[in-house]
Amino acid sequence: MNRLTSTLSNLKANNQKALVAYLVAGDPDMDSTLDLMHIFVESGVDVIEIGVPFTDPIAEGPTIQRAHDRALKNNISLKMILSLVDEFRKSNKETPIVLMGYLNTFISHIDLVQATGKDGIDSILVVDIPGELNLETYGISNPNINTISLISPTTKENRVELISKNSTGFIYYVNLRGVTGSSNLNISEIENNISRIKKYTDLPTLAGFGIKTTEDAKTLAKFSDGIIIGSSIVEMINDSSTTKEFGRIGQYIMDMKVAIS
Amino acid sequence: MTSNKFNYPDKEGFFGEFGGKFVPETLMYALEELENTYSKLKDDKDFIKEFYSDLSAFVGRPSPLYFAQRLTDKYKSGNIWLKREDLNHTGAHKINNTVGQILLAKHMGKKRIIAETGAGQHGVATATVAARLGLECHIYMGSEDVRRQSLNVYRIKLLGAQVHAVDSGSATLKDALNEAMRDWVSNIDDTYYIIGSVTGPHPYPMIVRDFNSVVGQEVIKQSNDLFNKMPDAIVACVGGGSNAMGIFYPFIEVQETRLIGVEAGGKGVSTGEHAAPLNDGTPGVLHGARSYLMQDEAGQVKDTKSVSAGLDYPGVGPEHSWLKDIGRAEYVAVSDDNALKAFHVVTELEGIMPALETAHAFAYLEPLMKELDSSANVVINVSGRGDKDINTVAEIDGIEF
Repeated sequence: MNRLTSTLSNLKANNQKALVAYLVAGDPDMDSTLDLMHIFVESGVDVIEIGVPFTDPIAEGPTIQRAHDRALKNNISLKMILSLVDEFRKSNKETPIVLMGYLNTFISHIDLVQATGKDGIDSILVVDIPGELNLETYGISNPNINTISLISPTTKENRVELISKNSTGFIYYVNLRGVTGSSNLNISEIENNISRIKKYTDLPTLAGFGIKTTEDAKTLAKFSDGIIIGSSIVEMINDSSTTKEFGRIGQYIMDMKVAIS
Repeated sequence: MTSNKFNYPDKEGFFGEFGGKFVPETLMYALEELENTYSKLKDDKDFIKEFYSDLSAFVGRPSPLYFAQRLTDKYKSGNIWLKREDLNHTGAHKINNTVGQILLAKHMGKKRIIAETGAGQHGVATATVAARLGLECHIYMGSEDVRRQSLNVYRIKLLGAQVHAVDSGSATLKDALNEAMRDWVSNIDDTYYIIGSVTGPHPYPMIVRDFNSVVGQEVIKQSNDLFNKMPDAIVACVGGGSNAMGIFYPFIEVQETRLIGVEAGGKGVSTGEHAAPLNDGTPGVLHGARSYLMQDEAGQVKDTKSVSAGLDYPGVGPEHSWLKDIGRAEYVAVSDDNALKAFHVVTELEGIMPALETAHAFAYLEPLMKELDSSANVVINVSGRGDKDINTVAEIDGIEF
């Protein structure tokens, strides 16, 4: 069983919620990213989501856009990110890793993605493909890697069904109409939509976008299988980009973990 | 509205292997809504009547096909005809598409209009039709373009729209598009996004082409009236490619007519500093569609370089990529220097000041006319007028006001 699938099903079996934390590879540099991945795990993160920098990240708000830009100044490529994961796996073979990015960077590296073995990345989430399509459509058919699809507040019922059938890792429910880091969560809409998704699939459904406070996390964990935190962490990484003291981030993650437990 | 057996895109939005719908999930429903609305309206008699009546009374169509005597004399090897899109209301072909799309917005009950713009012509054309219907309007424009197209920025503001300068990335057209997409994702329920070129996710490349293909349809009729046969060649500049697609589309099945798209060669295609993806790009996915793209080996989109803001874009409409690959259209590139020379030549010889975008098409006459015999008829699509570029040209010529 895929590392991501087994991690999420173990959590579910123990009645626990998943905590997914996001960072952009190479922001502020690759050594920091590796350190941060370990800090994430030590602080209670269940799944690490690595943003693959792209020049035109249309789904990202200003915070994550700027992180992409900083990473691109360091010429971070998917090739380097896969090496980073190899490095991480030397001391951690348990924590699932999801790459989140845009189609053009993945299809430019199909050979590399295809060659990834069991101890590499576990899943790919492509932001800019329709949810009912999967990676095989684009020539990526690596049995070690599964597909995470997004469902948003505007996804119609017939497509919820198609997308649910097509996903393998988990369903990423986009909490709001907007880009990453936006605010104003509509809790009752999120609750309704997640329960609608659950009619069609037994896959874990995780909620992401716009989660900032432990209050948000606590509320959403009640009816989802876990939460995804991105922009607020990326903001903190940027604040500490010169000192490289990321302790505050560890604390923030621990607080989030407590909130969803 | 279409009159052509080249019935692309297919139902998934592909022109061969180009096109498609590569967007965040939130936008899928809006694209579906647009597709359904358009497929209902495009053959609706009342809708067609309203569109053509606006094109006639508000835009001033049909635009003339004008014989350029002195340019013809200069090259001595064929007849040069100008399709005068510069005479349209607001000064460019862009208004054809916005007049059509605002009708779609009206039918869909959308209250808020957004658009991206490079040279500002699409921004002006969008702000114009939004003003006419009293709709709230937001225009996204790269901050570099805000600087070099300040006249159009002011025109947009006078029309009551808000201009949002975009600083991210290269601060040009592609970044304006990114930001418009983000706005759309965030305000999807009440907002209509008027894309300004034959780019973006399906159904936009089809819709923009269809609305703008009135240009090519008129040229067919005018060619018959004026020289009693089809043109030997049609030349149009290509950034995203909407003016070219509008004039090419009705001619795709007219095999005797060469279709020539002219991209922005910037400092020269060999220097890498240009905006000519069909000449020096590879297929990739940007802004919702698969098409030729200026990108590096890692799949990152490269910065572009062109004196013309409207052509300064690393991608191109997917139908052009398809026409290139099947060999139906030819795509060449013209450098900044040659486009600027042509700007002056056409202004002095014809009393018509072309946009810098259009000047690229004119510059290609230099090599083209040498290949043609004296009976050949060549149509240049004069996509827009050059008033907006006076500051840029003056700066290059070292003139201060």
